[in-house]
Amino acid sequence: MDILSQDRVGASILSALRGVLPHAILQEEWQTPRQVTITVKPSALQDVVKTLYYEHYGWVSVVVGNDERSLTGVFAVYYVLSMEGPEKCHIVVRVEVPADTQEFPSVTPVVPACVWGEREVRDMFGLKPVGLPDERRLVLPDDWPDDLHPLRKDSMDYRMRPAPVADNETYPFINEAKGETTIVPVGPLHITSDEPGHFRLFVDGEDIIDADYRMFYVHRGMEKVAESRMGYNEVTFLADRVCGICGYAHSVAYTTSIENALGINVPARAQAIRSILLETERMHSHLLNLGLVCHYVGFDTGFQQFFRVREKAMTLAELLTGSRKTYAMNLIGGVRRDILGEQAAETRRVSAELRVDTQRLVDILLETANVGGRVNGVGLLDKQIARDYSPVGPLVRGSGHARDTRADHAFAGYGLVKNTIRSHDGCDVLARTLVRAEEVFDSLDLIDALLDTAPGGAILTEDFEYLPHKFALGFTEAPRGEDIHWSMTGDNQKLYRWRCRASTYNNWPVLRYMLRGNTVSDAPVIVGSLDPCYSCTDRVTFVDVRKQKSVTVPIEEVERYGRERKNSPLK
Amino acid sequence: MLKLLKEIFRTGEATVKYPFAPLEVSKDFRGKPEHEAEKCIACAACTIACPPNAIQMETDIEAGTRTWSINYGRCVFCGRCEESCPTGAIYLTPDFELAVGSKADLMRRAVFTLAQCEVCGKPFAPAKEIAYAGALLAQASEAEELTDRQRTLLATCPECKRRADLQKLADMAIARQMETRK
Repeated sequence: MDILSQDRVGASILSALRGVLPHAILQEEWQTPRQVTITVKPSALQDVVKTLYYEHYGWVSVVVGNDERSLTGVFAVYYVLSMEGPEKCHIVVRVEVPADTQEFPSVTPVVPACVWGEREVRDMFGLKPVGLPDERRLVLPDDWPDDLHPLRKDSMDYRMRPAPVADNETYPFINEAKGETTIVPVGPLHITSDEPGHFRLFVDGEDIIDADYRMFYVHRGMEKVAESRMGYNEVTFLADRVCGICGYAHSVAYTTSIENALGINVPARAQAIRSILLETERMHSHLLNLGLVCHYVGFDTGFQQFFRVREKAMTLAELLTGSRKTYAMNLIGGVRRDILGEQAAETRRVSAELRVDTQRLVDILLETANVGGRVNGVGLLDKQIARDYSPVGPLVRGSGHARDTRADHAFAGYGLVKNTIRSHDGCDVLARTLVRAEEVFDSLDLIDALLDTAPGGAILTEDFEYLPHKFALGFTEAPRGEDIHWSMTGDNQKLYRWRCRASTYNNWPVLRYMLRGNTVSDAPVIVGSLDPCYSCTDRVTFVDVRKQKSVTVPIEEVERYGRERKNSPLK
Repeated sequence: MLKLLKEIFRTGEATVKYPFAPLEVSKDFRGKPEHEAEKCIACAACTIACPPNAIQMETDIEAGTRTWSINYGRCVFCGRCEESCPTGAIYLTPDFELAVGSKADLMRRAVFTLAQCEVCGKPFAPAKEIAYAGALLAQASEAEELTDRQRTLLATCPECKRRADLQKLADMAIARQMETRK
């Protein structure tokens, strides 16, 4: 697509970059007026990403690997930066990785936020980030063969499961504690649960000195199945299932990525409907988390009350989409159901009710005596660490960084209305909880405003053609933060590459810093303040560094201790 | 604390009687898809639209049948089948109670007969689909009945049609040669 040069937002950042690094940029390609992909020399990669990140208000959204050998003869790695300075845009730094050496310089030493992305590219494509400080596997299990990289185009069928090559777990957990600590392993391997993770807390008595953890125990291989089996519109419904809480945000991010790549003009009414549904989803998700905060600090009555009120948001979703979850409302080019007069009236009624109900509960939550002490100053996420690791959503907004995709890169219908970014400087669990509570009311305001301003007209366009090998980003602000998708169309009515990054992916790497310096009984509420899909982390190992002993404790026991703070499971 | 007590009294009972009383869902709830085999023409549009491959079709040339099937265990209730169906044979209902005692009960099947090609005699397409195409053609040409040529074309399999076309082309070439020689 040709983007007229006067429309381009971010061009001055590129000229400033050319000023300091004259020969770094080999190629520049604009996908939309606010999205550009620059191909850089491998030798300049570190400097380019570092300059954009620290000198032009960049944040790393995602790192995408792509096997482009059949298109250009090389592999490619894309570093997606969300530029949030005066010129808000996305700059994607692309580096080509030769098919013979399969090596490229790691950016992690200068921009720590790239660490998970580079580890994943190493697993999935077998490309070697030279100088990557943490070379452990991220996604692949310990018993996976060394030379099998699932997302390479010539590697394997999506249904194949290779024979295990190891019997035991070999993953080394990292403990940066200076003195001796005890290990407290938490989780996982409860195979019936959908999202287990293993936490290892290194403790000295009751104090957490350091923590390490491992996710991806039940990696579903969604990117592979989308690239191998499904058509463009079918992936929309798969994206709905990336998350059981905020799946619609993924569905919107995916359709937006294809719409951006092909330059589809989505009807304004469809975009407004998408935003209304995204806010409905945010409301139920935030109310859920507010309830969980109550639960983790032992205020179970509050938990029950928040869940009772949350039910109204669920019923609203059912009214508007036909389902409480997995809305199935998107197609590429628009939405499948309109919001009719009767539904709009009912939405306004429920929204007014929710405003009153939630206000009452939030007042109760903040006034309950023993809640304050459990969330105030607990689980601190330092502002600078947040800056270095690019976390997203209420987590980063609770640490004084006002970044919100709805305002920074207005997508769907957010351009039609005024967006407020909530942020607090407390850096603790309380700050994150306050951000969420305020955002519930913002969501209600947005829903009302969107119902007022949504223009009439079509809700779906079919006036476009699929073109091969076009790519672009799609993004949304999910309840947990920015979701970002990078899609490239193929030549067989299937995606050539789909990279889908959920918000919590960017939030896990900072958790260890949030746990340090707190006590074991605070661990559940700290992890809960990330609002991850945590329910399935069912066991914890504690390692006492001084006594050199290790105990495994069921998660119910840790949570109970978190609530009651009596009868420590470690004694 | 007082506020909380007040809230609890204001709320009263929040639990519902389900499953001892039926649970009402919203008007356009997306539940179990119902298939009406009488209306279905086995065109396979729904099998292509279905994202999780819950709806599938299998053709058995030996038996001369095509079996349509839905696996409710795989269904995601998106309703793409309803959107793609040309005859309204499949549609979503508000029924959400799909639990069964045995996995096999989640499958529903419908068997359709394939029509035999007029020329080679091999089964090639569902008889109902051909009838439907015939009705569409008749409607398009605003005629009461199909012409004999249309009827033959409908009842011939693609392979025989290709062969007939080739034959016709070859005949034409000979005819043209004969003409130039004259």
